[in-house]
Amino acid sequence: MAEEKVILCEIEVLNKYGIHARPAALLVKTAGKFACDIFIGKKGEEVSAKSIMGLLTIEGYQGAKLRVRIVGRDAEEALAEITELFEKKFFEE
Amino acid sequence: MAITLKELLDNGAERLSLELVWGEGRLDRPIEEKAINRPGLALTGFFQYFAQRRLQVFGLAEFTYLKSLSTEDRAVRLREMFEKNVPAVIISRNRNPLPELRALAEEYGTPLFRTAMITSHFVNECTLLLEELTAPHDRIQGTMLEIMGIGVLLQGQAGIGKSETALSLIGRGYSLVADDVTEMVRTGGRVMAFAHELTRYHMEIRGVGIVHVPSLFGVSAIRRDAMLDMVVNLHPYKNDADEERTGLEPTEIEILGVKFPYFSLPVSSGRDMANIVEAVALNYKLKLLGHDAAKELDEKLIGNFLRKAAK
Repeated sequence: MAEEKVILCEIEVLNKYGIHARPAALLVKTAGKFACDIFIGKKGEEVSAKSIMGLLTIEGYQGAKLRVRIVGRDAEEALAEITELFEKKFFEE
Repeated sequence: MAITLKELLDNGAERLSLELVWGEGRLDRPIEEKAINRPGLALTGFFQYFAQRRLQVFGLAEFTYLKSLSTEDRAVRLREMFEKNVPAVIISRNRNPLPELRALAEEYGTPLFRTAMITSHFVNECTLLLEELTAPHDRIQGTMLEIMGIGVLLQGQAGIGKSETALSLIGRGYSLVADDVTEMVRTGGRVMAFAHELTRYHMEIRGVGIVHVPSLFGVSAIRRDAMLDMVVNLHPYKNDADEERTGLEPTEIEILGVKFPYFSLPVSSGRDMANIVEAVALNYKLKLLGHDAAKELDEKLIGNFLRKAAK
């Protein structure tokens, strides 16, 4: 049986408008491709990255630093794609 | 596509109280321009501009004017008009055609009609009828429903549950227009949907067979026709990849050259499709009332985030 990986890291919101509906939907679509569980949020208030309504509550404004926790065997691949979304500012700018 | 005089007569005999005076063998002529002309001006001898491809209607004005002319002038002017090879001549108010009008019609092979209607009513009704007969139309696979005044076409592959969803919506008090096959006709900028005359008000439910909807659910469960407002497609659930998640980026589908909002809903066990289709229709109605929930929430979020980022 494949080993369960756990990744913990911090990620900064770079796009001007933050994690509003469109970026949240992009995150959910990306997260949905992976088997692992992905959580994003602030300390003690993390939500599943597979829930739009959840992501809208984390207040991901520009400059906010979010905690990402990924659990599962495809955790690294998931992190790479999610990091890319943040870095590319969710293709908004 | 031009319609023929025969089609006009078949469809308009009752509605336009139209009858043929002469020209049985010439009814295959096309009406090249679906409009009506009153040839008053032409009868004065002005033919520089004459709508000769249209139906020519002789009303009280034309008759009174013709009577004011000498017999020779009248013959010359009428002949000139028939020489233009007009599709047909129609006399309103059930007047008897002047003998020379009838003789010229026969000579030029131009069918002559008569209507009991007064000219202005005839012109209006006949224009409408010509529009209807030539309107773009199509037969489209899909079940048509009316949900709180919103016309919804339900599409999806065979066996996905269109009729079952429709049945459930009928149970909630909405109306069926057509099951599985819907006739569409464009009227102006809108598209009207209705069922084929033969299968109207019937639907087929797998495992049950064909049922007569008003007998089972009452007459309020059916509608003869409805204007199309949106298309809802049911598709088998795959994964999240292609689903609309925010409602911020609507897709459209074109039917008979008119664009309609298009919603594709994934079907999976445990999802009550009737409930979701109802929500889609009502949400659309809300949008029509100027209230776009997805957009409003998004604007609220962005405003909130911009304020926080500035701190």
